[in-house]
Amino acid sequence: MLLTLIFPLLLAGGAVLAAQSSVNGRLGATVGVLPSAWLTFIMGAVVTFLLMFFFEPPHEATLFSVPKWQLTGALFGVVYMLAIVFAVPRVGTAAATVAVISGQLLMSLLIDHFGWLHNDRLPFDASRLAAVALLAGALWLIYMSNARRERRQALEAEAASG
Amino acid sequence: MPPLTILLLVLCAGMGLSVEAGLLGPLGEQVGHLSATLSIFLVGGLLLSLAMVFSRGVSLGTLFRQPRWQLIGGLLGPIYVVVLTVTTPLVGVGITMVGILFGQVGASLVIDHFGWLGSERRAIDGYRVGALVLILAALWLIH
Repeated sequence: MLLTLIFPLLLAGGAVLAAQSSVNGRLGATVGVLPSAWLTFIMGAVVTFLLMFFFEPPHEATLFSVPKWQLTGALFGVVYMLAIVFAVPRVGTAAATVAVISGQLLMSLLIDHFGWLHNDRLPFDASRLAAVALLAGALWLIYMSNARRERRQALEAEAASG
Repeated sequence: MPPLTILLLVLCAGMGLSVEAGLLGPLGEQVGHLSATLSIFLVGGLLLSLAMVFSRGVSLGTLFRQPRWQLIGGLLGPIYVVVLTVTTPLVGVGITMVGILFGQVGASLVIDHFGWLGSERRAIDGYRVGALVLILAALWLIH
């Protein structure tokens, strides 16, 4: 029941991520990775500041009063970006994508299971194990699809240069 | 660096993304979803500003000479982060991440198929459709 309400939200969240990587991939190729990431974060900060300033209802705690470790989320985003920029030219998009998603899924199951970082505990059970098997299959298909695309691009590049 | 080491590094970076979601959920509950989202973009933006100042060969001129629509990536990012802070406390990090993955793979299929956002047009790819079906089945299993 809850999922029917949440699912459209998650779908939208994933869709904007795909759109963003499509736009930024292009931008990064022309202006460089750092300027394109910089612009993305600065624009994000500007937009969220305006929204927060005018629309956020008051809360008892503020960003300045919560424990500092709760504010470290951004560091993980930046580290991720650097890792991807470093890895993609060396191991290819196909392998890098699968590694990122595996890490994401692994850690999300751990956080749920142990209730780390003040999250609710959602124990790992048989249905989650079955889901992991399905996701492994999905990852294999994503790898195949990306690998085929990379091969084709390499062939086209070769044909263009030869 | 051997490829396996690089892949392990990327795996850890992917784990970091879930940690980010795991931090954002409870933070959003305490200070508000928009404030929690702001913390991500503000800290990230400031760190990258420092990096820009100290990097060689960065040209802001080139950036702002690009077609304006190519600069909208920053409007999309906040939507994703707000979704993370709203959904994580409700359904947990696992379902959030699998749901996001579904949206990502689905949207990339559509974007490629119609050649939107300046991407090259590509026929619907059977592998990706298969992946989409498996992800949906996984989501149904764990909800």
